[in-house]
Amino acid sequence: MEPALDSTGKEGKKKSSKKRTAAGSPVEGFLQPVKLSRAELYKEPTNEELNHLRETESLFHSSLLRLQVEELLKEVRLSEKKKERIDAFLWEVKQRIMQVPSTPETELTDQAWLPAGVRVPLHQVPYTVKGCFRFLPPAQVTVVGSYLLGTCIRPDINVDVALTMPREILQDKDGLNQRYFRKRALYLVHLAHHLAQESLFGSVQFSYTNGCHLKPSLLLRPHGKDEYLVTVRLHPCPPPDFFRPCRLLPSKNNVRSAWYRGQSSPGDGGSPEPPTPHYNTWILQDVALESHVHLLSTTLGSAVGLKDGVALLKVWLRQRELDKGLGGFSGFLISMLVAFLVSTRKIHTTMSGYQVLRSVLQFLATTDLTVNGISLCHSSDASLPAVADFHQAFPVVFLDSSGRLNLCADVTASTYHQVQHEARLSMALLESKADDGFQLLLMTPKPMIRTFDHILHLRPLSRLQAACHRLKLWPELQDHGGDYVSAALGPLTTLLEQGLGSRLHLLAHSRPPVSEWDISQDPPKHRDAGTLTLGLLLRPEGLTSVLELGPEADQPEAAEFRQFWGSRSELRRFQDGAIREAVVWEAASMAQKRLIPHQVVTHLLALHADIPDTCVHYVGGLLDSLIQGLKETSSTGEEALAAVVRCYDDLSRLLWGLEELPLTVSAVQGAHPVLRYTEVFPPAPIRPAYSFYERMQDRASLLPRPDKPCPAYVEPMTVVCHLEGSGQWPQDAEAIRRVRAAFQLRLAELLTQQHGLQCRATATHTDVLKDGFVFRIRVAYQREPQILKEMRSPEGMVSLRDTPASLRLERDTRHLPLLTSALHGLQQQHPAFSGVARLAKRWVRAQLLGEGLTDESLDLVTAALFLHPEPFTPPSSLQVGFLRFLFLVSTFDWKNTPLIVNLNNELTVEEQVEMRSGFLATRTQLPVMILQQLMVLAAEALPVLEKQLMDPRGPGDIRTVFRPPLDMYDVLIRLSPRHIPRHRQAVDSPAASFCRGLLREPGPSSLMPVLGFDPPQLYLAQLKEAFGDLALFFYDQHGGEVIGVLWKPTSFQPQPFKASNTKGRMVVSKGGELVMVPNVEAILEDFAILGEGLVQAVEARSERWTV
Amino acid sequence: MVARRRKRAARDSEERIPSPPGYSGEGLRDAGPGVARLRWEVSRAIPIKFSEKQQASHYLYVREHRVREGAKSSWPQKRTLFVLNVPPYCTEECLARLLSVCGPIRSVELQERPELAEGPKEPKSKFFQPKPVPGFQVAYVVFQKPGGVVAALALQGPLLISTETHPAKSGVHKWIGDYAEAVPDPEALRAEVDSFMQAYDQKVAEEEAKAEEEEGVPDEEGWVKVTRRGRRPVLPRTEAASLRVLEREKRKRARKELLNFYAWQHRETKMEHLAQLRKKFEEDKQRIELMRAQRKFRPY
Repeated sequence: MEPALDSTGKEGKKKSSKKRTAAGSPVEGFLQPVKLSRAELYKEPTNEELNHLRETESLFHSSLLRLQVEELLKEVRLSEKKKERIDAFLWEVKQRIMQVPSTPETELTDQAWLPAGVRVPLHQVPYTVKGCFRFLPPAQVTVVGSYLLGTCIRPDINVDVALTMPREILQDKDGLNQRYFRKRALYLVHLAHHLAQESLFGSVQFSYTNGCHLKPSLLLRPHGKDEYLVTVRLHPCPPPDFFRPCRLLPSKNNVRSAWYRGQSSPGDGGSPEPPTPHYNTWILQDVALESHVHLLSTTLGSAVGLKDGVALLKVWLRQRELDKGLGGFSGFLISMLVAFLVSTRKIHTTMSGYQVLRSVLQFLATTDLTVNGISLCHSSDASLPAVADFHQAFPVVFLDSSGRLNLCADVTASTYHQVQHEARLSMALLESKADDGFQLLLMTPKPMIRTFDHILHLRPLSRLQAACHRLKLWPELQDHGGDYVSAALGPLTTLLEQGLGSRLHLLAHSRPPVSEWDISQDPPKHRDAGTLTLGLLLRPEGLTSVLELGPEADQPEAAEFRQFWGSRSELRRFQDGAIREAVVWEAASMAQKRLIPHQVVTHLLALHADIPDTCVHYVGGLLDSLIQGLKETSSTGEEALAAVVRCYDDLSRLLWGLEELPLTVSAVQGAHPVLRYTEVFPPAPIRPAYSFYERMQDRASLLPRPDKPCPAYVEPMTVVCHLEGSGQWPQDAEAIRRVRAAFQLRLAELLTQQHGLQCRATATHTDVLKDGFVFRIRVAYQREPQILKEMRSPEGMVSLRDTPASLRLERDTRHLPLLTSALHGLQQQHPAFSGVARLAKRWVRAQLLGEGLTDESLDLVTAALFLHPEPFTPPSSLQVGFLRFLFLVSTFDWKNTPLIVNLNNELTVEEQVEMRSGFLATRTQLPVMILQQLMVLAAEALPVLEKQLMDPRGPGDIRTVFRPPLDMYDVLIRLSPRHIPRHRQAVDSPAASFCRGLLREPGPSSLMPVLGFDPPQLYLAQLKEAFGDLALFFYDQHGGEVIGVLWKPTSFQPQPFKASNTKGRMVVSKGGELVMVPNVEAILEDFAILGEGLVQAVEARSERWTV
Repeated sequence: MVARRRKRAARDSEERIPSPPGYSGEGLRDAGPGVARLRWEVSRAIPIKFSEKQQASHYLYVREHRVREGAKSSWPQKRTLFVLNVPPYCTEECLARLLSVCGPIRSVELQERPELAEGPKEPKSKFFQPKPVPGFQVAYVVFQKPGGVVAALALQGPLLISTETHPAKSGVHKWIGDYAEAVPDPEALRAEVDSFMQAYDQKVAEEEAKAEEEEGVPDEEGWVKVTRRGRRPVLPRTEAASLRVLEREKRKRARKELLNFYAWQHRETKMEHLAQLRKKFEEDKQRIELMRAQRKFRPY
C-alpha cells in the first residue's frame, strides 16, 4: 500500500482519493473502454432502434437509468414459472377451505367446542360479550391485493385471500364491542385447526393483518421445497352491505365504555361515549377489501408503466423501512396513491415506471396530508362526512372512493413526515442529476441506525401502559382495543417534538414488527414487541444553544411553559432587561451540547409520561470516548482544536505585521490536520520539566535523555508562509532554496526580536514556540514549482513537465493549504465534521492501516460524507457519521469509480464527467487499488457496531471494532511502552504509563521542546528503508504496542544474482543453481537490532517465508 | 521449519559459503585487463554480524572495483574494494575499522546503489541534503595499496560490527544521537547560504556580461541571435506560448466556418448524435453487465 493523494486538478480542489493495494487481480471486475467499429457506429438505424433511443430520451433520465430500472424490475418481479406454481397452490387452498366442516351454533363466550391444540388468536379482554357463533364454509373465496394486480415484489411473496363469511354467522349489532372481531378470530381458529391437518401445508400460523392486533389472519405456506415461495394470508371479511356505513363514521362510538371498563364508572355517567375512529376503520377495511381491488385493477389494468412504478415505489419504501408494521406506509397505500394521482391526471397511463416514481415522490414531497387530506371519492353526497371531520380523528387523511374510509388511519404523523422527508431528499437527488442516482435512490438501504443522528430505545414496553394512564389516554386505549403501544405513540412523539423544538429536524419511530406465531400458542402480548425505538434527526444549528427561551413571566403562556418543563423552568433576567421563563441545560463542551437532546428526552418522559430514565436507553455519544483525551471526559476535543486555531490566527497576524522583512508576506496558510480540525488527538500546550531533559543551551533546545522514558510527543504544525513575488528572486532552483533558507533565518530573528518568541530556523522551515504550541513555518515562493518543472528541449523550447520534486512542493505549498482552508470552512458549516473525521481516522489507524493511507485522503473521504450525503442528510452526530464512513468504505466501487469530493461546489458536471472518464481510461495503468483490506475490515465492523448500538440492553464493549485482528501478520514486533510517547492514546488506554517530562503548571518556557521525536515512527522509517521491498509494516501511531509485518510473497521468489538486488539477501545453491533468497533469520535479528531499547520481542508467527 | 533446516545445512558447510556466480570464478583470474566485458573478478562472501549475540549473519559480497576499459571512474583501479549488502547499522567508520586489518585504508564511502556513470560530484551540504535513513547499502573502500584488496578478498568472517571496545549505536541511543545532531546551527547555515549566494551572484553576473557582449554580434555564419533583451523583444520560447498561438489560430478558423449550412452537414450532425447515443448505450450496457455480475441489483 502506498500513500496516495491524487490531485488531478490544478487548484487542488479536484481530489479523488485513490486507494492502492498490491492485492487483488488487476483485470477482473474492471470496466474496459468501449470500442465500437466505425461501421457499427454509423450504420443506418432501424426503426425499432430509433424508437428505443427516442423513448429512452423522453421517458427516462438516461439510457443507463433505463437499463438499471429494467434490471431491478427483473430482479424483484415474480417469474411466470413461479406464478404457475402459486396459482396451482391457490386452487388447492380454495378446495381445502371449502371442505372444512361446519359447526353447531354456540354462545360467543362458550368456547368449549374449540378443538385442543389451537388457541384463539385474539386477546379477549373483557371476555364477556353477547352473540352466537357457528362455522360455515365461506360464501366466497377471492384473491385480492398485489398478487392479483401483478405488483407484488420479491422476496416475501404474499397472496392475500379474502374469505367472505356467510351472512348466517353474523347478527345485528355485531359491529359493537368487538363482536365482529371475536367471530372473525373464531372463524380462523376453526379453519386453522382443519387446515393444519392437511399435508399440503408446510406451516400454518397466525399473524396480525398489518399489525392490527384485533385482526388476526391465517398464514399458509406450501409444504416441501416451495415453503419459502409464497405465503397465503387468509382474511375473513363480512358479506357486502352487512354493516351500515353510517354507523362506522369516525365520529361514532362502537365500543361502549360500560362494556370495555367493566362497570360504568360513576364519574362518567353523563358524559357522551368517546368516538372510536380506529376501531370503525378496521371494520371498514374488511368491508372495502373487494372494492379496493376492483378500483386498483381498473386503474393499473394493462398499464405496464404504472405497475413498474408501483413496484419501484415499493422497493423505495422498503429500503427506507417504511412499509412494515402497524401504521407503515404499505405497498397497498402507495398503489392507492398512484390510483389517486391517475384520477387527478397527475399521472398518465402511458408514463414509464421511472416517471411514475418521480411523480409520486414529487406529490409526497409537496403535499402535507396531515393538513390537507385527499380523497378518491368524487360523489357530492351530503351525507358523507367532510375531510375536516377526518382530520379531527386521524393525523393523516387519505379517503378511499367510498368517502368513509381513511386509508391512512393507522399512519402516525411522524411516519408521514418521515415519508415526506424521504420524498423530498429523493426529489433533490433526482434533480441534482447525480451520476449514481439510481444506486442511491433504490439500492441503498437506510436502516434507522444509519439514518438518524441519535437513537433511543424505550424498554420494557410495559412501561408505556403506565404512560398511557399518566397521559390520560383512556379513550384511545378503548379505541385501540387495549393496544397501549399504538395509543401512546402519537402523544409521546408530539411531546418530544415539542420539547426538542429547534434542535430537531425529524423524529421517527420504529413500528412494532408484525409477529407470527404457531396456532397452538397464545397471541403475543403488546409488550412482547420488545422495544420502541425512536430516531432523532438533529438540526446542527439548534444544537449549540443551551437555553430554552420561554415567554415573559407576566404573559399567560408562562404558566403553560412552566407546566411543560416542570421544575426545570426558571425565571431569568436577560441582558435586554426582560424577565422570562427559561430552561438552561448544563453543557460546557460541544460534545455535551450534542447530548442535550438526551437530557430533554429523559426529563420530559419522566415528567409527563412517568417513564424513568432507566427505561430510556439513549444511543448518541457512545463513541465519543474513543477520541477523548485521557484526562478530559467531558469534551471530544473540539474546544482544544479551536484553541490551537486561535493561537495560529494570532501567529498569522504577527507574520503579516512583521517589519523589516525584505519582502512582504502575501499569504499565511495552515497545512496541518490540526488546522482543519481533523487531528485525532488535539495537541495540548507543552510545559516541559527541564530536569527530564538534556539541555543544549547555546541553541536553546531541549534534548531527550537516554536514561529517561521517551519525552512527550510534540508535533510541529505546518504553516505555509507565501512571500510576494519579486524580480530579486533568483531563477535557479538551488539558489531559490538558499534564498528561502535565508528567509527562514531572518524570520526566526525577527520573531524573536519583535515578539519575543522562541524560534529555531533550519534550511527548510522555522519552528516557533507560541503559547505552548509549536508551529513550523515554511517559506514558499509562488513560482518555485514552475521553475522546478521547466525543461529545456535541445531546440531551446521551454516546456513544463511535472517532476517528483515539483509535485511534492505543489502538494505541500499549494494543495494542502487549500484543502486545509476548505475543510476548515466545512467544519464551520457542519460542526460534526471534526468528530467524524477524527473517529474515522482513529479507526483506520487502530486497524494498523494508517501508514498506507494519507491523512488527507481520509479527511476527504469524510468530507464526502458531508458534501455528498445522499441518500442521507449530512450527519450531525459522530456515531452516525462514523457508521456511514464504514458503509461508504465497504460498499464504494473503488475499482471503477473515483470518489469525487466537490469541495465548495467548484467542480462543474462536465468536469466531473471528464474526471470519471479520465479515471477509467488510465485505470489499467494505475496501481491496483481498493483497500481490499480496509474494505473487508469495514464490512466486518459495520454490522457488529450497528448491532451493538441497536441493542436496547446496552452496547457492551464499544471498542470491539477498534481492536485490530493480528492473526494475519507473519511477524509481530512488540514494543516497549517506555519508548512509546503516545502510549496513553491507545484504544485500550493503559492503566499506567511512564512520566513524559511534563509539568502540571505552566513553567518557564524559553527552551524549544523536543519536536517530532517518536521512536516507533523513527523505527518504522528505518524498517521501511531497509526491508521495504521484502515486507510491509503496519502500526497504529496512536499508542500501538505492536508492529505487524507481512512478507511480500513476490520478493520471496528465488532470484538470480544481481548487484542491485542483494539487499538483505543471501546466495544459496538451489538445484545446482545459485540464487538469491531473503536472509530471513538475519532479518528477524535485524528487527531487534535496529530497534534496540524499543523492541521487546520479535515473534515470527508463520512459516510462510520458507522458500 | 524447512528454512531452519536449510539454514543449519548452510552453517554445516561454513567454509563453503555459496558465492554468487562469477564470485567464485578462479578461472577468470587470467582474463586480466583488456577483456572488454565487465567481469566479476576474485570475490567472496564475508559473513557479518552486529555483535557476538546474534545467531545468524548477513553476508558482504566483495570484489575488486573494475570498470570497462576506457570508462572513467572516480575510484582508483586496483586499490578499490566494492562491497555489496552492507547492513543498515554499519557505518563508514565501522567498515573502515573492520577492513583495516587488510591494510591501511584511504577512504570508505557508502552509497544507496552502485555508481553507474560517474559525474561531477555535487558538494554535499549537510543543511540542504538531509541525512537519509540508511537501508542496505553498497560501499567503495579505497586502500592505500593494492595489497589491501587482495587481503580483503581473503578475509574470513564473521565480522563483528559492535564490539566491547567499539560499541555501535543503534535503536533508541542512535535516535537520540541523531536528534541532537540535527538541531540546527543557524550561524553555520547562514555562512553557507552567504557563500553559495556570493558564488551564484558572481556566476549570474558573468553570464549576463557574456550575453551582453554577444548581443547583436553575428556568429561565424553571420547569424544574429535575437534575445528578449534586444531592442525589439520577442515571444519567449515556451510551450505554453506556442500552444496559445495555435489555439488562437484555431479559433479564428472556427469563426469563419459555416455550421449546419449544407444538407450534408445537417445529415452528419444527426448521424453523429445517433452514434453518440449508440456509444453511450454500449457503455451503459457494459456497466450494467458488470453490476449484474457484482449482484448490484439485489436491493436487499
